[in-house]
Amino acid sequence: MSLNSDACDHDLLRLSLDDRLSEQQEDALARHLTECTNCQCELARLAGSDADWSKVSLALKYEAESACGAGNATRATTPRTERDEDDADDSSADFAVDFLEPSSAPQTLGRLADIDILEVIGRGGMGVVLKGYQAELKRLVAVKVLAPHLAVSAAARKRFAREAQAAAAILHPNVMPILTVHSGGKLPYLVMPFLACESLEQRIARDGPLPLVDLLRIGMQSAQGLAAAHAQGIVHRDVKPANILLDLGVDRVMLTDFGLARAIDDASITRTGLIAGTPQYMSPEQARGEPLDARSDLFSLGSVLYAMAAGRPPFRAETSYGILRRITDSDPRPVREINEEIPTWLAAIIDKMLAKAPADRLESAQRVAAILEQCLAHVQQPTLAPLPDFCRARRPPRWLTVPLVICCATVALVAAFLLWPGSIDRPAAPASDSAASDPSPAGSVPTADNSTPRMPVGSATEWDAVADQLDQLDRDGRVFETRNQREWDRLPIPLPPETNSDSDLISRPHLENDP
Amino acid sequence: MRQPQTHPSLIVRLKDRRNEPAWAEFLCAYEPFLWQLVRRQGTPERHVADITQQLLMAVARSLDGWRDDGQAASFRRWLSRVARNVVIKFMTRERRQVTGQGGTDFLEQLEGQPDLAESERLQGLYEHELIVWAAHEVRGDFRETSWQAFWATQIEGKGVAEVAAELGISPGSIYMSRSRILARIREKIDDAM
Repeated sequence: MSLNSDACDHDLLRLSLDDRLSEQQEDALARHLTECTNCQCELARLAGSDADWSKVSLALKYEAESACGAGNATRATTPRTERDEDDADDSSADFAVDFLEPSSAPQTLGRLADIDILEVIGRGGMGVVLKGYQAELKRLVAVKVLAPHLAVSAAARKRFAREAQAAAAILHPNVMPILTVHSGGKLPYLVMPFLACESLEQRIARDGPLPLVDLLRIGMQSAQGLAAAHAQGIVHRDVKPANILLDLGVDRVMLTDFGLARAIDDASITRTGLIAGTPQYMSPEQARGEPLDARSDLFSLGSVLYAMAAGRPPFRAETSYGILRRITDSDPRPVREINEEIPTWLAAIIDKMLAKAPADRLESAQRVAAILEQCLAHVQQPTLAPLPDFCRARRPPRWLTVPLVICCATVALVAAFLLWPGSIDRPAAPASDSAASDPSPAGSVPTADNSTPRMPVGSATEWDAVADQLDQLDRDGRVFETRNQREWDRLPIPLPPETNSDSDLISRPHLENDP
Repeated sequence: MRQPQTHPSLIVRLKDRRNEPAWAEFLCAYEPFLWQLVRRQGTPERHVADITQQLLMAVARSLDGWRDDGQAASFRRWLSRVARNVVIKFMTRERRQVTGQGGTDFLEQLEGQPDLAESERLQGLYEHELIVWAAHEVRGDFRETSWQAFWATQIEGKGVAEVAAELGISPGSIYMSRSRILARIREKIDDAM
């Protein structure tokens, strides 16, 4: 028992663990604990068993010693530093270097068949990329070696080879060619040409949102590459900025890693399971684990366009689960809210590609490529090239727009006039008036009535109806798009040859608007 | 059964819909732990997100195997067990990879069951990772002097009176704060488990 006058209080100890004591209680308990060994033990027991105490202490002690030997409280429980990461990078490359054969050539890491491996140039989710030189062909190549954990069974290796061979059959300027596929050895690998390039991911990370012309060009070429693959029945399954390479020097875009996501999925299904891909660019059907077709790639490409426009992917959350939930359940923030320089027609294209239901998206990569190509031509040569029909169809014909806007504005004005309490009926309501002049009328309600918003009883549904109408109009792009369209209309767009009087109004609306 | 061509996913339609909140709750508590663990296993920074997600998907893929054993929190306990197994397998693989073993030896070892001593060692490693993570997480909830007092007395083994004098606080408050810290670490681990 304690010599302290304070009695031992079990409940107080329990409360102190949860930090639920008042300051006075806390001071009193601290004084008591200093003296009372019983309570010291009891409190420690309440916090955890002897085993808990020693496990935690040992773990942290071991951690502190192995972290840097300084025994420093701060270091032991902070995440690893950059130095540690570099070490990790080196060790994770070991497997790829280990499986090389020794090479007689100086300055090389080793040899792989007829390729002298010069250096490790990258590490992707699926393995390591090496830079090599084929002496006989006198060319530099990039060698992609599948990580050992993905090459676990013969079936997985065969699958990898099959997918890679299928991808190798896609011959298109916007698809990274595959020179060789090798699946016989310990680890399967692909040989590709070595190019000085950066990925779209690196570009966005460095520069943020891309200029409109670049965005359209990269989008168009990616869509063309996808179209070539889709024509052969190959779905990419992992379209994302990291897999879109920008050839430095020339304005060429190349898609890489076709179908490999699928091969990796299969490889992983046979064991603990590892599948490729950060989820940010997944389609809703992919996130739900449903069967995919080419339209899944179009959603992902839509996300890529969004990322180029906004400088960040459309669906973000703290956790990957959160990202997947957003992809399946919610619409991204309108891209023009993030980057107002994006024209409405491009936002409309992106929205269409990001439709949750595959059937609501643009029907093919070819169509996407064609639309983006026309848009690109329009942006580069506004006077010669009109926007594609798809973009113009989003806008109502001008002969309809003007009356609609007038009509809508009238409805809004009339509604506002009728519903605004101060406008018509208020002067005729003496009770309110007297209330306004008398700050404290005894036993009357009008003070509340006089405060904003002053909405007459029974008008809520009318307000709702007007709000709905406006909302609907807005959603159809008829109210706010007109304002923006005017800017576009200032560009003199030549009349298409088969023009009639209606389309004349479409292309030259400024005649109406200008005084 | 899953068809080979379908993608497994974190958004699972559980057989027993009652368990969906538990699954979401598990992800919220467990993903941050996995994140740090994957990083600490030597994964290059840019692959941490990928691998974390892959591990969670591996857990998700096993969800249909759950059978209610009638005991309290049956699903949650089962989930913890599955997650622990997935993570332990991952640690085995990573370690082998780091030691540079590749090819057939590597594959054979991966297929075979680790022996008992090895399995215990891995369990210990898993526990170690959980403790270090939890301590890191809760550290910010405490005053710096509280943490220093906990560290000096519990990890460095200094006497309470000595540390109290050094830090200018009462010995009683050291007993109090170090118990709080241990309780919070345990609580954090329980949340993730």
